[in-house]
Amino acid sequence: MRGDWLIVWLLSDAESLNPLTSNDATASEVLSFVMSSLTATDPKTFAQIPVLAAVLPVVSADHLTYTFKLRKGATFSDGTPVTVDDVLFSVKAIKDPEVKAPFLRNYYTSLVDARATDDSTIEFRCSEPYFRNDVVLGGISVLPRRFYDPQGELDGVSVADLAAWDTIAPEKKERAVRFAQSFNADFHRRVLGAGAYVLADPARDLVTGERVVLRHRDGFWAPGDPLRGDGWVDRVFFRVINNPDAALVALKAGTLDFMGLTPLQHLKQTGTPGFRQRFKKEIAFTPSYVYIGWNALRPVFRDKRVRQALSRLVDRDRIIERVLFGYGEKIDSPVYRFSPEYNTDLKGYAFDPDRAKRELDEAGWIDHDGDGIRDKVVDGAPTPLRFEIISNSGNAARRNIGLIVVDQFRRAGIDATFREVDWSILLDRIERFDYDAVILGWQFSPNDPDLYQLWHSSQAVPGGSNHVSFKNAEGDRILVEYRREFDKQKRIELYRRLQGIILDEAPYTFLYMPKAISTVDRRFEDTIWYPTGQPNVNEWWVPLAQQKYGK
Amino acid sequence: MLGYAARRLLLMVPTFVGVTFIAFLIMHLAPGDPVELYFQGGLAAGTQGASPERLAEIQRAKEHERHRLGLDRPLPVQYAIWFKRLVTLDLGESFKDRRPVWDKIRERLPVTVTLNLIAIFITYLIAIPLGIYSSVRPGSWLDATATTGVFMLYSLPSFWVGTLILIYFCGGDYFLWFPPAGLHSLDYDVSWPWIRQLRDYSWHIAMPVVCETYAAFAALSRYMRSSMLENALQDYVRTARAKGLSERVVVLKHILRNSLIPMVTLLGDLLPSLVGGAVIIETIFSIPGIGQLGYQAVLARDYPVVLGLFAISSALTLVGILAADLMLAVVDPRISFGRVER
Repeated sequence: MRGDWLIVWLLSDAESLNPLTSNDATASEVLSFVMSSLTATDPKTFAQIPVLAAVLPVVSADHLTYTFKLRKGATFSDGTPVTVDDVLFSVKAIKDPEVKAPFLRNYYTSLVDARATDDSTIEFRCSEPYFRNDVVLGGISVLPRRFYDPQGELDGVSVADLAAWDTIAPEKKERAVRFAQSFNADFHRRVLGAGAYVLADPARDLVTGERVVLRHRDGFWAPGDPLRGDGWVDRVFFRVINNPDAALVALKAGTLDFMGLTPLQHLKQTGTPGFRQRFKKEIAFTPSYVYIGWNALRPVFRDKRVRQALSRLVDRDRIIERVLFGYGEKIDSPVYRFSPEYNTDLKGYAFDPDRAKRELDEAGWIDHDGDGIRDKVVDGAPTPLRFEIISNSGNAARRNIGLIVVDQFRRAGIDATFREVDWSILLDRIERFDYDAVILGWQFSPNDPDLYQLWHSSQAVPGGSNHVSFKNAEGDRILVEYRREFDKQKRIELYRRLQGIILDEAPYTFLYMPKAISTVDRRFEDTIWYPTGQPNVNEWWVPLAQQKYGK
Repeated sequence: MLGYAARRLLLMVPTFVGVTFIAFLIMHLAPGDPVELYFQGGLAAGTQGASPERLAEIQRAKEHERHRLGLDRPLPVQYAIWFKRLVTLDLGESFKDRRPVWDKIRERLPVTVTLNLIAIFITYLIAIPLGIYSSVRPGSWLDATATTGVFMLYSLPSFWVGTLILIYFCGGDYFLWFPPAGLHSLDYDVSWPWIRQLRDYSWHIAMPVVCETYAAFAALSRYMRSSMLENALQDYVRTARAKGLSERVVVLKHILRNSLIPMVTLLGDLLPSLVGGAVIIETIFSIPGIGQLGYQAVLARDYPVVLGLFAISSALTLVGILAADLMLAVVDPRISFGRVER
C-alpha cells in the first residue's frame, strides 16, 4: 500500500549531499534513498543481487576482469536513461585524484581500466585478484554524467588515464582538475540519482538544522521492489533534532515515527502502556564492538602475558550489566558473531583476578620496591606497571567502562588511570602512537569480513587502522592469502585460525557488541530487522485507514 | 564630535586586528587538526580507515589537503591571507564542506537575529517598567517581591528550565502545548498565508524566547531601579516636587528621563548580542541558529567558520561601543567629546 510519510530522526545535518565526497553517516543514510548502484547485498541472505545491472557480473578465469551488463529501462529521476557512459563517468569521478574522496578511491586502487564494450556492457579490469572485487565494483553509485559534469570535462579522459596519474597527458590532467574543482564545490546541496526518491526542490526540502525531505518519484524503474530501492511511503522526511531528549519528546508528541533509543530511555521513559500502544520496539544486535586497545609500542604492553592478564582483570559481565543495562553481549573476536567466518571454538578471557595476578607475577611484574605498584626491569630501566587509558570525551558508556576497569587494575597493583580527551586530540595521539591504551569501537562487516586493515603489520603506520601495532608473521600471511582466496570454505578456515592467534596475542581486550533499541510508530507494517542490525525501511507500509500524512 | 567619531573609527582598526589575531592564534595553537578530523572520519564512525596497501596515498592526500587549505604555511602568513580576504568581505570557505562561510552564516542569521530581537524587546518591555515600579516605593513589599522574583529567575539555569519545559509542556508524557523542536511544523509550506506562517512560527519560538528572557530581567531592572533612585535624590527633583508638580510628572518627566542616560551605555552590548547565538537554548530546542553553528565549528576545528563568527561579533561589539558613546553625547548635553581640555 503506497502513501503516508515516514518521519525519521537525524541527530545532525548532512553536511554535504555530494555522493562521493561526503563522509558522514547522515549523508550516506539520506543518499541511500536517492542513489542507486550496479549491485547490492540482500540483507537477509547476504547474497549479491543485481540492481542497475541486469545480472550478476561475469568474472574472468584469472579473477581480474569483471563484466557488468546494464539493466534495460532504468532511468535517473529526471527521466533520462541510465547508460554505460554514466557508469564510466561514475568510475572516472572516483578515480580522479583531485576529487576529494580519498577513502572511497582507496577501495578502487587496483582498478586500472574500465571500458564500454557495447551500449549495455561495461568491463572492469583490475591489477590484482581480490575476493570482494565483485561487491566493491558493483557498489559504485551510478551518477548521471550530464548533471555532474555538464561541461563534459571527463569525456575525453579514460579510466586508464586516471589510473596512471603520474604519466597522464597534461591536457587531460587539466580537464580532470577542472572537473574536480566544480564537482567538489557545486554539489553539496543538490543531488540526482537513479533511486526511487528525489530531493525535488532543495530550497524547500533541504533546510539546514531542520529537515531533508525526499519525495517518491513517479515511474520508478523497479516498482514494488524494496531490494532495488523502491519504497511504499510517499515521503521520507528526515527531521534534524540535535538533542536526543527532545527527539523522544517529539516522538511522543507524534511528530517522529522512527528513532533509536538509549537503554535508559528504553527502560525508564518508554514503558507506559500508552507508549506501547502507539509504538513498537525492536531490540537487535548492531554489527559493531567496543574494545580496549593496548599500544604494543609501550614497554609495559610488549609482553603478551601482560595483555592477557589485563584482559582477565576486565569484568565484562559487570560492564554489560552496569553500563549497558544488559543490552550487549561479550565478544572475543573481531569477526561478527553471525557470519560463517566466526570461530565458535574461541575461549575468551573470563574475569579471574587471582589468575591474572599470578600471571603478572610469572611475567616478572612484581612489586619489588614496596610502593604498592608492580614493577619490572625493562630495557635496563626499572619500570612500574603504570599506564593511562584514554577515550573520547562525551561518551558516557566509555567513561564508565574506563572507571570500572581502572578500579580492577588498581586492586591488582597496577597504576592505571583513565582520562577523557577531545575527539580531535584523541585522533592526533593515536595517529602518532602517543598513548598507552584506548577504549574505542569498530564496526563489524556483517558478511565477508576483510581484517587486513586492522591487523596487518603494514598498517601499523601513522594513519593506518592497526593503531595498536599488532605484528604477527603468521597473521600477516593469513591476511594476505585470505584476500586472494576465492573459495569461501577455505577463507573460513583461514580466519578461524587468525581469530585464534588474535585472541591469544590479546592486542585488544574485546569487550562487547551492543544491542540497539529502536522504536517505530505502530501504523507501519512489515518492519523487519535483519542480521545487519538494520531494517530495510523500503519495505515499510501503512494501511490506508491509518495513513497520517499527505492524504 | 565628528572628529572624535573619526578618531574612534580609526582606533577600531588596530583593536580589531589585535582581537582577531589573538583569536586566530588560540584557535590554531589549540590541539586538534581539521585535516586529521576529516581523514579519520572512519574512526569516528567506527569503520576501518579504508586504506589497504596505499596508506602512502592517504598521507599524500592529507599533505595535499593541508596545502590546499593553506595550513602548511606559517601562522602569521595564514592570518595575513585571512585578513586580506576579510577586507574584501570574503570570510573564506568552511573546511568541512567547502561552502562559503558567509553562506553558512547567512542562512542561520535570520533565525538568530529574529529570536534575539524578540527576546531583547520583551526583556526591555518588562524589565524597564519593573525597575521604575520598584524604585517608586523602595523597600515596599512590591519592591521586595519584584526584586526577589527577578533574582530567583536569574538563579535558574537555562538548561534546567529548558529541559523542564521540554518535558512538561512539549508533548512528552504531559502537556502538548508547544512543539519540542525546530521552527516550523512538519507540514510547513512557504505557500501558506502569512498569518498561518506567523502563527506557526510564534508557536515554535515561544518557549525558546521564554528561556532566553527570564534570566535577563534581573540585571536590567536593577540597573533601572538604582538609576532611578539615584536621580530621585537630586536637587532638581526636590525642586520639581516643591513647585507642586504631580508625583506622576516628577517620576516620568524628571526622574525617568535622566535615569535613561546610563541605560544608553547598555545599548553597546545590544548589537553583538543580536547575532550571538545561545548555544544551550538552541541545542535544547534544536534551533538552527548561530550558536549551534559556532559550537559545531569549534568541535570540528573548522577555523574559517569560527573566525568568521568571531570577526562579525567583534566588529559589532566595537561598533556597538562606539555607537553607545556617541549616543550618550546626544542624549546628555553635558557630555561632549569634541573639546578636550588640557
